[in-house]
Amino acid sequence: MGDEIPLGDKGDGTFYKVLIIDDSVFMIKQISQILQSQKFEVIGTAADGQEGIDKYKELHPKVDLVTLDITMPNVDGITCLEKIIEFDKNAKIVMMSALGKEDLVKKALLTGAKSYIVKPLDRDKILSRLKSVLSNTN
Amino acid sequence: MRVEYINPFVESSVNVLKEVLGLQVRRENVSLKSKALPVLDIAVIVGLVGQVEGRVIFDLDRKTALNIASKMNDETLTEFDDLAKATITELGNMITGRAVTKLSELGYKFDVTPPAIFTGNNMEISDVNIEALIVPIETELGRVEVNVALREKA
Ligand SMILES: [Mg+2]
Repeated sequence: MGDEIPLGDKGDGTFYKVLIIDDSVFMIKQISQILQSQKFEVIGTAADGQEGIDKYKELHPKVDLVTLDITMPNVDGITCLEKIIEFDKNAKIVMMSALGKEDLVKKALLTGAKSYIVKPLDRDKILSRLKSVLSNTN
Repeated sequence: MRVEYINPFVESSVNVLKEVLGLQVRRENVSLKSKALPVLDIAVIVGLVGQVEGRVIFDLDRKTALNIASKMNDETLTEFDDLAKATITELGNMITGRAVTKLSELGYKFDVTPPAIFTGNNMEISDVNIEALIVPIETELGRVEVNVALREKA
């Protein structure tokens, strides 16, 4: 087990770079810790949808993966998703929301999110979903 | 308040608390109040908008809030700082999110607004004047009162 390659390892000596967008510093901390334990590099965080769009553009093309909350002040996560996809249709975005409503999940996936994880989050939930996202899109 | 609204909130409160705390939690008797309750030290408020409107308040004392935030962060927090606040706020968001998801499966369409947290004993919450359902939840870390007030839009 200990010899396993961490999920964040791209296999070329570098690690996946992540932007975390969530209005809760608790969530940012929890997601960061889980990702960092697998060697993902958190290169940016944003506390609402507008900041998320701005950070994505600023960091582009360095961002390999975005985790995106939905319920946020100012600009929500669905609008943020639309804007990021509009800017970069290849963006790899994984929604992480407390809302699991079917219409919302469908909308997010149709708009271009690669996966949708319903909070509360835990290590296994995040890592197993990211594993399939990364293997499907590479 | 319609009885269909009630169960999803009761269930999500119990189940989300169980999941994030990894502890047994117990629901006490649910009651209806015609007036909003007096608030404890800490209150998280999540607004509901759409086909129904109203709000959910999560009410707890400072010690319980700190205990729960510490457990959820897997570290001992000694003061009710920004991280502790964000943790309790997100807990309210997760419980409400799950209830709203369940209600949407039952055909009730509405959305949540970002949660807000109020602390201190001189807080005043101007409240909707509707009947509130109180769901008290006992955990090993203290008691959380979930206060739900919803009405169909006229
Ligand atoms: Mg949020």
